[in-house]
Amino acid sequence: MFVYEKKLQYPVNIKNPNAQLAKLIITQFGGADGELAASLRYLSQRYTMPLPELKATLTDIGTEELGHLEMIGAIVYQLTKGLSEKEIKAAGFDQYFVDHTLGIYPASASGVPFTAAYLQSKGDAITDLHEDMAAEQKARTTYDNILRFADDPDVKDAIRFLRQREVVHYQRFGENLRILTDKLDEKNFYAFNPEFDTKCFKNQLKKDKK
Amino acid sequence: MTERDILLKQLSSYQFLIDDLQLYLDTHPNDEKTIKKMNEYTAKMIPMREKFEKLYGPLTTGEDSKNSWIWVNAPWPWENEEVE
Repeated sequence: MFVYEKKLQYPVNIKNPNAQLAKLIITQFGGADGELAASLRYLSQRYTMPLPELKATLTDIGTEELGHLEMIGAIVYQLTKGLSEKEIKAAGFDQYFVDHTLGIYPASASGVPFTAAYLQSKGDAITDLHEDMAAEQKARTTYDNILRFADDPDVKDAIRFLRQREVVHYQRFGENLRILTDKLDEKNFYAFNPEFDTKCFKNQLKKDKK
Repeated sequence: MTERDILLKQLSSYQFLIDDLQLYLDTHPNDEKTIKKMNEYTAKMIPMREKFEKLYGPLTTGEDSKNSWIWVNAPWPWENEEVE
């Protein structure tokens, strides 16, 4: 189960509203490489993972991503709070506003609503871990792109924290892949699905020979 | 920064150290040195957390709320206190 902690993983305290930035940053709430997609991806993939280290990593990173989703929501909320209709129009936030007012809705920067088609749970640990490593890099690039347009130090501080976490997660998923392949028949990692064809594990091969 | 912000930042820093070490231990579960560090940080974090909750209200539900359900009280994590 999950227990809610009434605090953010990293503080978000934005003094100056800026709907233009909010329009970009919402993409990490509900866009293709955003935190919701990340969280659902890992928390879905974990069930059929073949090794305890992999189950633990996907559970813990998937949980942390929910905390990041909350931080992105807080950033967008604080960037749009108290704005007038005139300011909303001037910032180009009016298109979002007509659909959601100032509610936080999972969509991309270009307004595409969130879809589960952004993620995969393939039931093959090698395939899924490669997707997870790619997902962390895609999120890292998105944060780099946000930083190109963010000039507010309060926003940059929180975005830099989130960007750094993508790098750490990428590292952990890389270790997951190594832990897995170390236990597989090294003649051909891709001949079997380690979640379905259990005979591809080294100890299983030995057992079969006996 | 308010007193609450300072304490929250201190607590969050320790909590973050613990979260980060937790991910590391998921892929290095036999690293005794890191497990020792994890236990040290956790021991330091717990009293900070208790102090924060005593002064500013519960961080999770179901904790001692006496006569009123103080869980509902502001601020919520996404609210910027200085601005509100």
